[in-house]
Amino acid sequence: MIKSLLRLLPYIQKHALRFWAGMAGLLFARVFEALIPLFVKRGVDEIAAGHEGFDLSGITYDQAMSALIYPCLAIIACVFAQVLVTIFSRTMIRKIGMEAAYDLRNRVYAHLQKQGPGFFMKFSIGDLMARAINDIGLVRMVIAGASRMTLVVIFTAIVGISFMFSLSVKLTLLLLLPMPVIVLVGWYYGKKIYALSHFVQEGFSGLSTFVQENLNGIRTVQAMAQESEEVARFETINQKYADDNLALFTNASLLGALMPVLAGLCILVILGFGTHLVATGDITIGTLVALLAYLNLVLWPMREAGTIVTQWQRGASASARLFEILDSEPEIQDRPSEEFPRMTGNISLQNVSYRYEDKDVFALEDVSFDVAPGEMIAILGRVGAGKSTLLRLFVRLLEPTSGKILLNNHPIDQFPLATLREQVCLVLQDPFLFADSLGDNIAYDDIGRSQEQIRESAHAAALKDTIERFPEGLETVLGERGVTLSGGQKQRTALARGLIRGTPILILDDCFSAVDTETEEHIFAGLKKLRADKTTLIVSHRVSTARHADRIIVLDEGRIIETGSHAQLLASGGFYADLEKAQSQQGHLIGRLADTGGGGRDD
Amino acid sequence: MTDTQTHADALDHSIFEADIHGQAFNAQLLGRIFQWVKPHGRLGLISIALACFASLLAVLLPVIIARVVIDGIIVGNADRAIPDFGMIDLTDWLVGLTGLGTLTSACILYGVFTLVCHTVYHIHRVTFARTVLRSLRDMRHDLFQHMEHRPSSFYDKVAVGRVMTRVTNDVQALFELLMGVGQLVGEFIPFFIALALMFSIDVELTLWLLVSIPIFVVVTWFFRQATRRVYRLIRNSVSKLNQNLQENLSGMAVVQLSNREEHNFDVYNTINSDNRDQEMHAIRLEVLYGAFMDNMVNIALAVIIWVGGGSVVQGAISLGSVILFTQFIDMFIRPIRALGQQYNVLFRAMASAERIFQALDWSEHVREPVDPVELPPRLEGKLEFRNLTFGYEPGQDVLHDVSVVIKPGEKLAIVGPTGSGKSTLIRLLGRFYDFENGCIFLDDIDLNRIDSQEIRRRIGVVLQDFHIFSGTVLDNIKLGNPRITRDQVIAAAMGVNAHDFITSLPQGYDTALVERGQNLSQGQRQLLAFARVLAADPEILILDEATASIDTETEQMIQQALKEIMKGRTSILIAHRLQTIQEADRILVLKDGEVKEIGSHVELMDLKGVYYTLNQLQFQDVSIEVQG
Repeated sequence: MIKSLLRLLPYIQKHALRFWAGMAGLLFARVFEALIPLFVKRGVDEIAAGHEGFDLSGITYDQAMSALIYPCLAIIACVFAQVLVTIFSRTMIRKIGMEAAYDLRNRVYAHLQKQGPGFFMKFSIGDLMARAINDIGLVRMVIAGASRMTLVVIFTAIVGISFMFSLSVKLTLLLLLPMPVIVLVGWYYGKKIYALSHFVQEGFSGLSTFVQENLNGIRTVQAMAQESEEVARFETINQKYADDNLALFTNASLLGALMPVLAGLCILVILGFGTHLVATGDITIGTLVALLAYLNLVLWPMREAGTIVTQWQRGASASARLFEILDSEPEIQDRPSEEFPRMTGNISLQNVSYRYEDKDVFALEDVSFDVAPGEMIAILGRVGAGKSTLLRLFVRLLEPTSGKILLNNHPIDQFPLATLREQVCLVLQDPFLFADSLGDNIAYDDIGRSQEQIRESAHAAALKDTIERFPEGLETVLGERGVTLSGGQKQRTALARGLIRGTPILILDDCFSAVDTETEEHIFAGLKKLRADKTTLIVSHRVSTARHADRIIVLDEGRIIETGSHAQLLASGGFYADLEKAQSQQGHLIGRLADTGGGGRDD
Repeated sequence: MTDTQTHADALDHSIFEADIHGQAFNAQLLGRIFQWVKPHGRLGLISIALACFASLLAVLLPVIIARVVIDGIIVGNADRAIPDFGMIDLTDWLVGLTGLGTLTSACILYGVFTLVCHTVYHIHRVTFARTVLRSLRDMRHDLFQHMEHRPSSFYDKVAVGRVMTRVTNDVQALFELLMGVGQLVGEFIPFFIALALMFSIDVELTLWLLVSIPIFVVVTWFFRQATRRVYRLIRNSVSKLNQNLQENLSGMAVVQLSNREEHNFDVYNTINSDNRDQEMHAIRLEVLYGAFMDNMVNIALAVIIWVGGGSVVQGAISLGSVILFTQFIDMFIRPIRALGQQYNVLFRAMASAERIFQALDWSEHVREPVDPVELPPRLEGKLEFRNLTFGYEPGQDVLHDVSVVIKPGEKLAIVGPTGSGKSTLIRLLGRFYDFENGCIFLDDIDLNRIDSQEIRRRIGVVLQDFHIFSGTVLDNIKLGNPRITRDQVIAAAMGVNAHDFITSLPQGYDTALVERGQNLSQGQRQLLAFARVLAADPEILILDEATASIDTETEQMIQQALKEIMKGRTSILIAHRLQTIQEADRILVLKDGEVKEIGSHVELMDLKGVYYTLNQLQFQDVSIEVQG
């Protein structure tokens, strides 16, 4: 716990001066606070003396009142001093917390951008979001909240108890006896309440998940006439959530009751023993009153002990989770920038194998082939044949377990990542679009591209009709707050995003699965012209896509099993020929007529 | 039908998208919330009565210290003219009863009062929480039930997330509001009792102290005004930060492959520093307010000593009374502090209440017959569409004058391009939408005269996207229907070739599935959907065939399973695959919402119309490939 907290130190050290100033301010605030009961004591004693003197020694009203001026003004002065010092110190420390959160956010963001797919396989997006948002929030609370509160408790205890000792040693010693019990109770319940509130929090997300899943499947629920059953299922979760909440509140309330009862025990000590001391003349009434005030002062922060301990613990585990992210080395080591001549599109694979860390079987095994500049190669195979793995090697999202990949006769890992990815473009199977305008999505790699260029590549990707259908054309905003594109439109937008870059090597990972054959035909016609002198790799499991290529490489279970042109492979009567026959049987007949550009309801 | 919302097109669903932030205090909304509290009102009233009793004890505790111990014992002059609220008599009674000394008796009294007071407070808090939790549990239930019965036309237009947050977060905001009310009750009751006590002792001093209240109220008001804007800015920048991060993470591969890291970081950093600046501003305001509220109250000590001290010197009140006043300071400031805290909660809750009632008042539903026809235990399975015309939006017909009769047990394939109205046709059959022009007959009974739930029990629909509910495989096949036994589920799974893959899962039929879970392939999901229908055993089957490409082997399994589930059932297939189409008795070609052709494969091929062209295209394509 300490270890992970210590890692936060650099973020505080950056603001060391502020930190120490804030801490000093905290201490002074406690001193001013502790001075107040002392002046109250003085005031009470003066009142008592004045009252007696009024009757017995003939003190005048004005005389009695003038004795009260000093303690009253002193109290006011202390209050103002305390307010000012508190404002100063709290501001200092809370600002450090915010600065640390700011720094951590940027560092996490920049660090995440360096990670490869293996990392994102290990950590889900939800998990990473939670770390970047909640955990940074918790760390901020440790720096700005728990550390301050801890010092407040310590300073208040030290200052308060010293003042108490100065008033009455005997009574203070007696009062110290129940203190450990109070701290322990606070600590015990604080932890318990934290555990319960965590539980309730989980219950709430369980409730949300249930509702969300249910509503996502509302059509199924209604189609199966299961509404009442679902409501009954919901009721179980709903009831449990209410019960868990009640358990949390019962415990919190119990702590809320135990603390004043224990404090009442201390008050009884003051009342019983203190009164005796007043009678013997050891202390004055004012002292008794001051001691009651000090008791309150010292006990208040102590009941927070549990909360503070919990905050430290939560902060520590948050910090551990954050540094788990920040410590993970990027899988792909980048190289310092270095000048390379522009690639020609020449590719050579030599005995390349790849195995995923958690798998026993190789996803790719001993794959070798060469591609000449300007060639269009199709890579075909069933789901899980290793196609996508192979493609990722060309952009170093993955690195081969063994074997060599040469681009322009240079080993691929000799290129700086930026250079590599500037010249090798991979269009992913899952067409991810940003909640941005259509045009900005196409020109994603370089926002400075001209409208002409964007239009040109959009046309090449058969997006012309789609764009024309939107009143705002390329400016149409996509995503949650904007237009939702159909699967085919998304794929073609991603394709346009790849085409616009005109890279020497372009790799398309199954980019036509939601595009109908007619449109596909149209795209290929343009593609062949556009990329006549550049290398293009196309992955598909559809024969109708693969046949456009100059050469087809058939992968199965990570190995190359056939290579050749469409005609050659059909003639040789192997896997490819079988696949062709099977697919034309089950082919998407209706795809021919489909208006894939439509955003219609009927889909 | 005039006052209810049956027509999607006439409704403005955009209110579900609108952001309601600050909502002014609205007593009517509050009144509606109390409808859910009412059934648990007795518990709530008991809780408040307990709070009153405990508060009284809490206020009397300092009286014991000040009047009994300090005035009576230490000063030795308990002036009975100054109120002691029976505490001196009570102590004397205890002395008489036990024979103990006055001080011991006072201490016992103090101890007992403390114990009883906080025990009762505890019971008050727990009963109050119970009242609130029960009320909101009921509200959440009603809300969920209400949303569960909104028709498809509603969910076509309103995002699921918008509905979900109403059931979860908005009810949670009301929970905070009502618990806040409880906290205020717990703070205000002792405040008023203490105030009454103080007035009875020294009116002038009490008035002096009351001056502080408007000051604190005004300061609190100014603070809320000052922070409102910056809090809104912070909310916005935080959600922008999260959105940016989420998007960047979701599209990380694209970001990296496009070399956009630096640019994206700059954008993020800009939002991040904006957020920091706003937070810094908020920190300054919060610290200022917090330090003022926490500490300024101690000024009252000076006032008490000065004003109260004067009265003591003159003998108007006792020394103990002055000390009593100092003990009440805390009770004075706490309600105001709590009010300040509850301020935001109140406004958030008002907005939430508005959203909740908006949803509860949304009565859009499909028309149900007033006097529904009861269906026989087993239907023949005859279906007829007669002159059916339908559009989601007025003036935009999706179906136009569709008429077709499907004989019991017949398998009809519907074929047509995207947007031709295929899915709409089956949605109308499932009574997911109201239709007025034309009729649908189920065993010659007008569909509009049958209860929609009843219809859906007789018609099994396999949608393109198989929705997984979190639960086991078994649960997902049963889908909450308790009449289906485990054996029936297994039999159904065997019937659709799903048994093998299910048993190969870690816990077989008891393997937990998660929504969007990656543990099932497309094909497996499809088979589960078939098993679900087979287990439910409806008289009529509707299948919306998935367009997604599935590998050839799974495809064969699906085709086999399809044959099994169609057995003995009238079936309508929205088909995309040639093989499925050839399985059908008749084929209906739909285009632009109209029936273009209908007949068997052979008949339609002879017709040389749309269907023929489709087939030609298919084979022409193949011949090109062979030549190439």
